[in-house]
Amino acid sequence: MNNSTKRMASWLGMAALLLGIGAPAIYASSHREAPLIANDPLADNTDVYAFRSPDNPNTITLIANYIPFELPQGGPNYYNFGENIRYEIHVDNNAAVAGDEITYRFTFTQVNEDPTTFFNIRLGKQNLKTTYKLERSTNGGQSFTTIVSNGIVPPNDIGPRSIESMVGLNTSYEALITGAIMTASSGEKVFCGPADDPFFVDLGGIFDLGDAPRQNSQSRDGLGFYNVHTIAIQVPISTLLKAGAPSTPANILDANYVIGVWASASRPATRTIQPNGQDPNDQGDWIQVSRLGMPLTNEAVIPIGDKDRWNRMTPYQDLAETTMDEYFYNPELALYMDDSQFGSAVPAFAPLRIQTNALGAFDFRNGKNGLFALKGTAAVAGTALDDAIFGTLLLPGAGKPRSVDLWPIFHTGVPNLPPYQLATGKNGNPLAAGKPFINNFLPNGGDMLRLNMATPVTARNDANFSSLGIVQAAVLGLTNPAYTATTDIQAIPNMDGFPNGRRLEDDVTLIELQAVAGVALAAIGLWYDDYVPGQSPVTPKLVNVLSYRTGVNNNDKHFKTSFPYVASPWRGTQVGQ
Amino acid sequence: MTHKLNTYLLAGMVWAMAATAGLASSHREAPLISNDPQADNVDVYAFRSPDSPNMITLMATYVPMQLPQGGPNYYSFGENIRYEIHVDNDAAIVGDEVTYRFTFTQVNEDPTTFFNIRLGKQNLKTTYTLQRSIDGGVSFQTIVSNGVVPPPNIGPRSIESGAGLGAPDYASLMTAAITTASSGEKVFCGTSDDPFFVDLGGIFDLGDAPRQSGSSVDGLACYNVSTIAIQVPIQTLLKAGVSPAPLSILQSDFVIGVWASSSRQQIRTLSATDGPTYSGPWVQVSRLGMPLTNEAVIPIGKKDFWNSLTPYQEISETTLDEYFYNPELALYMDDSQFGTAVPAFAPLRIQTGSLGAYDFRNGKNGLFGLKGNAALAGTALDDAIFGTLLLPAAGKPRSVDLWPIFHTGVPNLPPYQLATGKNGNPLAVGKPFINNFLPNGGDMLRLNMAVPVTPRNDPKFSTLGLIQAAVLGLTDPAYAANADLQFIPNMDGFPNGRRLEDDVTRIELQAVSGIVLAAIGLWYDDYIPGTTASPVTPKLLNVYTYTTGVESNDVAFQTTFPYVAEPHRGTEECGGPLFVGTNDVFGGTIGLNQKPVLMKNFPNPYTTQTTFQFKVNTAMNITVRVYDVRGAYVATPYTGFVSEGEFQQVWNSGNTPPGIYIANLYDAAGHLLQSGKLVKTQ
Repeated sequence: MNNSTKRMASWLGMAALLLGIGAPAIYASSHREAPLIANDPLADNTDVYAFRSPDNPNTITLIANYIPFELPQGGPNYYNFGENIRYEIHVDNNAAVAGDEITYRFTFTQVNEDPTTFFNIRLGKQNLKTTYKLERSTNGGQSFTTIVSNGIVPPNDIGPRSIESMVGLNTSYEALITGAIMTASSGEKVFCGPADDPFFVDLGGIFDLGDAPRQNSQSRDGLGFYNVHTIAIQVPISTLLKAGAPSTPANILDANYVIGVWASASRPATRTIQPNGQDPNDQGDWIQVSRLGMPLTNEAVIPIGDKDRWNRMTPYQDLAETTMDEYFYNPELALYMDDSQFGSAVPAFAPLRIQTNALGAFDFRNGKNGLFALKGTAAVAGTALDDAIFGTLLLPGAGKPRSVDLWPIFHTGVPNLPPYQLATGKNGNPLAAGKPFINNFLPNGGDMLRLNMATPVTARNDANFSSLGIVQAAVLGLTNPAYTATTDIQAIPNMDGFPNGRRLEDDVTLIELQAVAGVALAAIGLWYDDYVPGQSPVTPKLVNVLSYRTGVNNNDKHFKTSFPYVASPWRGTQVGQ
Repeated sequence: MTHKLNTYLLAGMVWAMAATAGLASSHREAPLISNDPQADNVDVYAFRSPDSPNMITLMATYVPMQLPQGGPNYYSFGENIRYEIHVDNDAAIVGDEVTYRFTFTQVNEDPTTFFNIRLGKQNLKTTYTLQRSIDGGVSFQTIVSNGVVPPPNIGPRSIESGAGLGAPDYASLMTAAITTASSGEKVFCGTSDDPFFVDLGGIFDLGDAPRQSGSSVDGLACYNVSTIAIQVPIQTLLKAGVSPAPLSILQSDFVIGVWASSSRQQIRTLSATDGPTYSGPWVQVSRLGMPLTNEAVIPIGKKDFWNSLTPYQEISETTLDEYFYNPELALYMDDSQFGTAVPAFAPLRIQTGSLGAYDFRNGKNGLFGLKGNAALAGTALDDAIFGTLLLPAAGKPRSVDLWPIFHTGVPNLPPYQLATGKNGNPLAVGKPFINNFLPNGGDMLRLNMAVPVTPRNDPKFSTLGLIQAAVLGLTDPAYAANADLQFIPNMDGFPNGRRLEDDVTRIELQAVSGIVLAAIGLWYDDYIPGTTASPVTPKLLNVYTYTTGVESNDVAFQTTFPYVAEPHRGTEECGGPLFVGTNDVFGGTIGLNQKPVLMKNFPNPYTTQTTFQFKVNTAMNITVRVYDVRGAYVATPYTGFVSEGEFQQVWNSGNTPPGIYIANLYDAAGHLLQSGKLVKTQ
């Protein structure tokens, strides 16, 4: 597409610059998110995480989860990774080169050790016992090298008789998990197996027309007590680093250290059901049936009419696909935070109201112009909004108000340039230089989780650790005297949080709803309507957005402090309603 | 085999019986279909309608374990799938006499939103076409076009509010979706509560039902299924040429065999740029007749194969018969095999020396020693009547009970009559109690439509179905006085058809344990003829009183069509645990964290169930006991070993009255670690 070629060219022209922002957008991750994949659970990618490992900061942990809503008691054929599916985790570290720099491909095989029983585990034997092969490509998928053969997938945690007893496997479940952590020939640590679903959200409330937090009852964690199948891989930063990048980052927002991560599942094009219940015959080209980068994109941004199509595309195709951009420029969720639209129809979102008149000038409601009036003015010279720098990327047209915040965070990340710096030090002008707080700019145009690997880890037991991720980093950078004194780059706690990558703890539903309500705009100085120049920008409307909660703020189980970090799966005999 | 068939047909006579086998119905029962939930047939029911006894209600449920909160694309029937309910009423004619075929279509009324329902518009809105064939599937006529499938029960904003559908309530949507076919059947297709109940977690943990440690849990409580229900006049289902007024309540001509299936086209082609396309002949991918056959009788190596067959193909498929002659479950009820490995089944022990002579354990001969004996003359075991069908060979002990109930039903002939009136000889004429004999050789749910309905509010109504009819026929003076044919309550229960209430898991486990053999006079080992006073021995009572720990559905059924309960609502109790914030649950109180185990329960107050959550800092044995306010013991929700970490134990308070209770947490030495107040509300 001409438009996108142009887009790409102008980005790449800029890739040498250091850039950076803090905006995110939207809600409940990606469980049953699109009609077709909802009917193919084995291939349904539910979430992707990417974070610097707290206990091993020279490595990055990449996690992709599949198979939503596994009932721990779902026997006799408990859930597992599927055969004839390619589960892949993709990493891009160079926007100038189209396609993945690194691809991890997992394929699974199942055997029945005792086909004479209907039990899954009996007398030391396990049915549907699953192993995997992990292959890695470092040339954009042209060739793959096997780095784990016969990887072990632990069985499901059926119950004490199946796992611990003499008539079962005579072991402990933790031993099974530990025994399944593999080291690849190329150095990565790998785990594939069942786990508690680390995501948390009030599905029942939120999909009942946005009732989160519940207005008439207590909120519920719709994913509480359910498992998923996790693929976790811990990779040395040096392996993921862009070719030619310095082995030590220039600073904690070094642009060379940004990676984009996404995951997918593919199936062969043609499935022919075989007679007599034999395994189906799968043949033909591999077709991508599920993908995920940023949480909730396909769950709560893309409308139902385009969801299946979105799942079929790669992020690299997003660049040339411009029709879906509209869902980010004018997101459906924003209609429910706007009293001139459907705001009054969603009482739970009442604290979330978008700027209609930031700084007395800028209206970010759907259909309005946002910052478009600044287009081409001297005020934007040298900023990320300068056409001379990024072309028409961030101000593509009138009536696309969220082109400056929601769109880039899903498609490019943001550079460490004004206006994407904190209001701290800006003296009231959002376009002035401020305090840096993010640079996850990787301008390839596709939906990915973008992580700057140079950003230091916030210890999980740090008093300032917050599941609000970058939103909390912004709050600290705007209000905490330890960080507000200067506009120098400083490590602010939670700069390593979503949407700079994604930690297991990050409350992405909350963060994205706050972002749709304009919190990132406020962070960079585009304050809420009730801000009076000269007075504190921490106005009641800003406090409303910052103190908004969905009603479900953390996972139902504690995460582990070491790889694979996800909590052990719920046991079949310990749940049920 | 042809031979098998010929001998059956030769027997165009009157019969009857009660036997069964297996465990938890058919959710995720075979590897292939467990990965294709939309086409996964979960259960089949067939019963005379209590409020409309001239009608038979046939029901097939699909798409197991639907989370009520499973949005944004809530579960529904799938497109490009043929969902079928099949009825055989004449074993002499191969194939269905009546076939109902449902196909579904979906449209998005508002493709611009990610919500399922918004402003009166619904996405993935589903309608169906119902076709019927009465010529064995050769031709189909459309009898319902544009049938309405109600939307998912998302929550009050989507269903009742003005921003949603503005409906009065969900029940009104269900009622409005009931339609009448052009040929007279009443039809409903939609989401409902899953009427099945079973402790999945316990039973598939190597048979731990009832739980030996802690309370049993209905693993299907709170989940929905997609239900197809059709109410058909008996006359429509009746064998050709039979008078609609039955001559007796066990008239053979009134037996139907019911099964359901789903099929997909053979080839599915995915595209990188568009949705999938389907082509080729239709191939059956799921089927179900008798509950639990493919879940707990057929071993994993044969499950996918079993799903691919029709019942009509089973007549020539003899390799699967072995799983009924010598069922795996029987190994766990036999101390010479793995009996000791499954403590939960301890009350279930198969006859090893019934009447001092007959051993029904796997590999033994059962009644085979009688083969050719004059004592068999005139009975169903007489080779001259049924050939080698019921006594095919040595070493197949369950050929006389488990095999026929799954493959042919049983006739009203000795030995398949109650011991009542037999005077100690199981081969003698006794009191009739069943005739669901339809000898086509395939796995079907067989129902004699002539058997009267037991009202659901009859004090003698029982979820034990035919087992309870047998018990009444053997022990209740109203029936035990003579061997005459009488209506005994629950003769219309499983395995004579299947009512929603029937506890088929329990019945089948009791049947594997030989209870049907006992009913016809092949008593348990501890009955010594001439010595033991009553055949109702401790071993018989053990089997009869055995329970899996989950005996009824989590919600009440409706008293009118479609009988299944409304689907659980996404926003209510079943839509996930209340958010308690595990970060705070056990924190907050200084010093509390020193304790080895901490306990909390939610919801509290509760109405029926509450969940105990434990944080275990030190692995140990614990016990939780519940007492009422006067200190009287009520229950033990959990006892056993707990390892470090957190876990939940759900407790169903059963029929304890509303009020305040105390839950005490003890260590192995009986020291009280914690005490908490529980509040049960109405």
